[in-house]
Amino acid sequence: MMAAWFTGLAALLLLTIAAALWRIWRGPTAADRMMAAQLIGSGGVAVTLLLAAAGQPAARDVGLVLALLAAFAAVGFVKAASHRGAGDPEADDASDARAGRAEGRAHD
Amino acid sequence: MIDTGFDVILAAMILGVAAGAVLTRGMFAAVVMFIVYGLLVALAWLRLGAVDVGLAEAAIGAGLTGVLLLGALGRVNRQLGEDGTPPDAPHRPAAIRPVALLAALATAAALAWGFLMLPPPDGLHAPVAQNLAATQLGNPVTAVLLNFRAWDTLLETIILLAALVGVWSLAPDAAWGGRPGLAQRTRSGGVLSSFGRLLPPVGLLVGVWLVWAGADRPGGAFQGATVLAAVWLLASMAGLSDAPRVASLWLRAALIAGPAVFLALALAGLSVAGFLIVPPGAAKLVTVTVEALLTLSLTVMLGLLVLGPPERAA
Repeated sequence: MMAAWFTGLAALLLLTIAAALWRIWRGPTAADRMMAAQLIGSGGVAVTLLLAAAGQPAARDVGLVLALLAAFAAVGFVKAASHRGAGDPEADDASDARAGRAEGRAHD
Repeated sequence: MIDTGFDVILAAMILGVAAGAVLTRGMFAAVVMFIVYGLLVALAWLRLGAVDVGLAEAAIGAGLTGVLLLGALGRVNRQLGEDGTPPDAPHRPAAIRPVALLAALATAAALAWGFLMLPPPDGLHAPVAQNLAATQLGNPVTAVLLNFRAWDTLLETIILLAALVGVWSLAPDAAWGGRPGLAQRTRSGGVLSSFGRLLPPVGLLVGVWLVWAGADRPGGAFQGATVLAAVWLLASMAGLSDAPRVASLWLRAALIAGPAVFLALALAGLSVAGFLIVPPGAAKLVTVTVEALLTLSLTVMLGLLVLGPPERAA
């Protein structure tokens, strides 16, 4: 009986993930889409934990890996957004980065 | 009833995300859809009871491939002209789309044919379960990968090594044997560099746990190595450790350690019974040794595959 509850809650969480999918589709900015993917990552981890409670304990390991690698994808996104893909948006001075990007487009 | 409901919602979402990734016009949205697709497919494997495959899909599909595609997209965007068209756009032959479509349809048809030709389910469950005790392992998937079908695993690691050599061969002459990627900069004490210190210890623990647990429960060298490669890449992106020179002897020793010892033990089997045959008494020892060294080699291979060809002189 409890297992059915947990699976039902996991199904509800899937529906909230579907709402975040709409945000990926609409955007409008890249950050909106990436944050929606992060939300889906959190929802996915919660689903694995509920499935673990519903009688599949090994699902917890999948949740661990998802949690870890969702954070990793966020770092990859931030890196790709920085100047030449190797910097740190926090360190790039805004005007410098814009000039650098324009220059990169012209010469690369 | 509730189980069926969950599965129907999940399957519908997987199809929706797949369609979204193909149909969306923005490349970035397509990459994000692909990452989410990997996560949902991992959940689907979990529902099918294939936890080992779910782990691999979560680590590779949703994790490493996502970062690889994000990096590739950033590179493409930097190479686009001011008007957003690639410099070589006019030279692209018009036939490329129909050819790609035909290739995709042929692949799908071949996969469907292969699926329909499969023997009825449970074909190999019984023999694997009967012989599991001889391998001294508790996880039937690891027993198949590293004992019954060790041949496949040996060839797969060698294929990855060949792929890495292929990536390295794209290096320009000036950077031959040098360091892959650009030098990473971060603001010291900033969010990125702090995150790069916070996450690796946790990742290290999870990666080693997956390898160790793989003998008796879901997990294994490949899944663990993917997590460890992600940890290494994270430390590299946070500017904490620069990528090594690909000509470095230590790096090359780490790359071939797994396949070389695997091959040596396979040849040692010749003196007992035959190539790749493991004497039942020593099965656990041989499996754990091969898995530990394979983890090292696979970690370095996967990390270097994401880092790309050398771009800086040695």
